[in-house]
Amino acid sequence: MTGSRPLALVLVEMILLVLLGPLVTGAIQKMKARLQCRQGAGVLQPYRDLAKLFRKGTVQADTASGLFPLIPVLVLAATVAAGALVPVVRMGPPAFPLGDALMLLGLLALARFLTAVGALDAGGAFGGMGASREMTVAPLVEPVLMMVVFSTAVVAGTTELGALASSRGASWLLAWGAADFLGFAAMLVVLPAETGRIPVDNPDTHLELTMLHEGMLLEHSGPGLGCMLLASHTRQIVTLGLVSALFFPAGPWGGAGAAGLLFGAGSFAAKVLVLAIYLALVESSYAKLRLFRVPQYLGVGFVCAFMALALRIL
Amino acid sequence: MSAETVHTVIDDIGSLLLFTMILIVAAGQIYRAIYAVAAQSLLIAIAAAVLARATGNGDLWVIAAITLAVKAIVLPWVLHLVVQRMNVRREVEPVIPIAATLALAVLIVVVSFQLSASLGPVRQAITGNALPVGIALTLTGVLVMATRKTALTQMVGLFASENGIFFTAMAVTQGMPLIIEIGVILDVILAALVMTILVLRVRSTVDADIADLDRLRG
Repeated sequence: MTGSRPLALVLVEMILLVLLGPLVTGAIQKMKARLQCRQGAGVLQPYRDLAKLFRKGTVQADTASGLFPLIPVLVLAATVAAGALVPVVRMGPPAFPLGDALMLLGLLALARFLTAVGALDAGGAFGGMGASREMTVAPLVEPVLMMVVFSTAVVAGTTELGALASSRGASWLLAWGAADFLGFAAMLVVLPAETGRIPVDNPDTHLELTMLHEGMLLEHSGPGLGCMLLASHTRQIVTLGLVSALFFPAGPWGGAGAAGLLFGAGSFAAKVLVLAIYLALVESSYAKLRLFRVPQYLGVGFVCAFMALALRIL
Repeated sequence: MSAETVHTVIDDIGSLLLFTMILIVAAGQIYRAIYAVAAQSLLIAIAAAVLARATGNGDLWVIAAITLAVKAIVLPWVLHLVVQRMNVRREVEPVIPIAATLALAVLIVVVSFQLSASLGPVRQAITGNALPVGIALTLTGVLVMATRKTALTQMVGLFASENGIFFTAMAVTQGMPLIIEIGVILDVILAALVMTILVLRVRSTVDADIADLDRLRG
């Protein structure tokens, strides 16, 4: 099997994603703070938080089972493995059988499932509430992501993300079909939900009944909480990488040499930055939706994704 | 512009029109529906300009300008004014839940694509997806009219429906005679004026809304 991404490159990309994940969160928080006329913490604050958590000890609920300490590790592993499937600096299929976009979504769903199981396992009321809400939102978000992937995969004839991205070619915006606009709109609608942000979730609060993801993390502490946070940073950058691989795969014409790789890395950083600015703007300009209004909001994304698929097939 | 470019551009505008239609259906507040219908009219004007450029039909430039001025600016502004004057509740009041309306809208889009696919040779003569998109817009506009209680949101539905008819007519005929298009736009303006006056008068004399009228007994 010939491909343009050898194993070493895939591993480097994966590590890069994990290392840069907290930076994206920090950048979004900084932008939000500036938009709200606050000074805000530095963009490196998530790294400091992680470093602090990894130095701390662990406290565990008496009711938690033996599975509970394993949950953060498993969640982090699933999310990082999903990161290996996102093309970062170079497009094109990998040189060895890896997984495709469905595998990526499946791993993210696995991470979500494990998080919810961990929250229920600890036996706390908040955790159970958060898990139940997360499981209400997930069936609305995941099909949308699936359908958007399918609507682009129908044209490319493959669900492998690298190949999908390279089939778009260099003139991506000019080559956008009618369905791509709807698919991208669907992606923009579900992006805040998938990354756990306003208007679906609030990443800043731990003690409010409106929260989804943070509620599930309450029972974790120390290195375990650090793993969970790192996993959610990675999940965010992986989702942003998925969007940019599906819709703006700039970088395939950068050539094979070091200059091409640098160009690919630079364009990836630019794309993630643009999406991060979008998330910060949405978070600053909308209020958190009431939980019962969330299905209506996500319904817009669902309908857009469905129409994108219908436009491709019919 | 080559025929193929026009084809893709009309297709893209069609999908954006469908997106604005989804926004109109899903809008929980009257203002958002009004802005969405203004954006939709703007897209129609762009489509008219693209077709004018492609076909060299001078009338279509006039149509594009009139659409932009009347439907994208004046009518939304009038609606906005009415909402402010009436001091109504800003939320739209649906008869059936908005999620159900969205599902029906999806059904309409799929059905209209299926229907126009069965037209075969007729569809080949039409630019891009304009026919199914136009049918879908028209029917979804009717859906919005049927599922809203307040007169204002029904007006938004009417405008969206009218946009759909306009888009279809434009793409199918490559530009109708100017006099017909102007007649259609005058009709819309008149309808908007009559409905606005009616809504304001009904409200100021009996302080009732459309939804209350079903309690009338003859």
